[in-house]
Amino acid sequence: MKTFFKALGNLVKKPVTTKYPFEPTFKPDDYRGLIGFEESLCIWCRRCEAVCPPGAIVFSQDMEGKQTYHYNRAVCIYCGECVRACPKEGALFQTAEPAPCALKEENINNAWNKLYPEAIESRELYAAEKKRKAAEKAAADKAAAAAKKESEDNSGATA
Amino acid sequence: MGKQYEIPVGAQHIALLEPLHFKFTTENEKIINTDANVYYVHRGIELACCSKFKFRQVSFVVGRVCGLCSISHTTAYSQVAEKLLKIEIPRRAKYLRMLIIELDRIHSHLLCLSHVAENSGFEALFMKTMQYREFSMELLEAVCGNRIQYDFSIVGGVSRDLKPQVADSIISRLKTFMPQLDELMDIYKHNWTLSLKNKGVGAITKQQAMELNLVGPFARAAGLAVDVRNETEDLLPWKEVGFEMVTETAGDVYSRNMIRLRELYVSIRIVNNIINGLPEGDLITETKAFPEGEATVRLEAPRGELFYYAKGNKTQVLERLKIKAPTFSNVAGMVKGFEGNEYGSAPAIIASYDPCLSCTAR
Repeated sequence: MKTFFKALGNLVKKPVTTKYPFEPTFKPDDYRGLIGFEESLCIWCRRCEAVCPPGAIVFSQDMEGKQTYHYNRAVCIYCGECVRACPKEGALFQTAEPAPCALKEENINNAWNKLYPEAIESRELYAAEKKRKAAEKAAADKAAAAAKKESEDNSGATA
Repeated sequence: MGKQYEIPVGAQHIALLEPLHFKFTTENEKIINTDANVYYVHRGIELACCSKFKFRQVSFVVGRVCGLCSISHTTAYSQVAEKLLKIEIPRRAKYLRMLIIELDRIHSHLLCLSHVAENSGFEALFMKTMQYREFSMELLEAVCGNRIQYDFSIVGGVSRDLKPQVADSIISRLKTFMPQLDELMDIYKHNWTLSLKNKGVGAITKQQAMELNLVGPFARAAGLAVDVRNETEDLLPWKEVGFEMVTETAGDVYSRNMIRLRELYVSIRIVNNIINGLPEGDLITETKAFPEGEATVRLEAPRGELFYYAKGNKTQVLERLKIKAPTFSNVAGMVKGFEGNEYGSAPAIIASYDPCLSCTAR
């Protein structure tokens, strides 16, 4: 009976729910939101990429060796593991801003699925190119050293 | 003997909260036999944890096994990984883990209670319980930064610290929750309409609970005193923070409600004790070791004993991870609990079991 009267009383009470899209809901100060990136501080160690559980961070590399940071907010689980792994204070940080919804025009999933293997490949290409250049340089050095030695030998013989 | 009918319920049904299939054989509206099928949401998480993810990432993956007891899974995995790494975590991290587990228990039990009320046909009480539950979600969000996926326990410790103002808000919100909990206790205990659907319904005896190896509130409602918090002291010091065993004797839906409500009082006391006696210290023990050997861990999730087994082979990726969720242990008891009850009581009984199928099927 008591419950019945309480239920009747509830009819004249204000609603306990908030009118969400028109009013803000509860959000703590240190909400786990989007991951921010400060390029000037990054030391390009790629540790964040290695620890990220869903693989939401990937670095691509062009042929000059310059790396670019790519981040997908739709893949990110906002765990903050990358921020904990970052050795440089302030290069990666977690903001309190919730991720905006992805729009169809962004093509967020398909573009990411295409970008991810390409980024990995670009790094492999750069590494291969670097290796090739190093090998070339080593060969050139070796040839130069051999030529030098030969010329020294020749000069010794003429003397 | 009357005519027998077979009534399938699920895998999708209005009275079910999770994809679970029951086939009831009924005679004159009485359930005489039940078949259960629980594996509808298998996602292959165990295999993914042993192939795709590194062992430090797995604690975030197992958090996605279940939305309600996310912290129990991450903590159990973190503990098993710490056993493989042979490290001891800081005392403060242990206390913070217990804090989140208990806050999680508060919200999980209130959710279950509200669903029992809803499935018993008491929609107003469902809304009231859900309204009172909201504070626990907000507290969890304030501590962990997220409402559902806490990602709080990581291998070696915890990921975030408890801020003093958040600790104060937990204490004050729990204080305002106490009279609300008393009110809920009063309604669940004395409401006559609810008692018609709950008292003497879906009963399990202590003997049956023991034979069927039940765990969690389901077993404690039948009088079987099983609680991992009472048995293990090495990983999380439960007794230090004021854990106390709660048991009932009847084993029906009503006593399961009572168990959950009384456990809320225990949880509130534990949370208060933890915040008042939070030790100082680090949050995480750093190590560069790799998991090696085998280990098992048991942890009391809101639904009962959660069991983790892991095997490492000195590489980044685990060799084997096995998760046994509490609902899996209770399936045999669930089937038994329906026997001799009216078919109309089945929804309330299902809700009172508090089944978590995504844990079970993984």
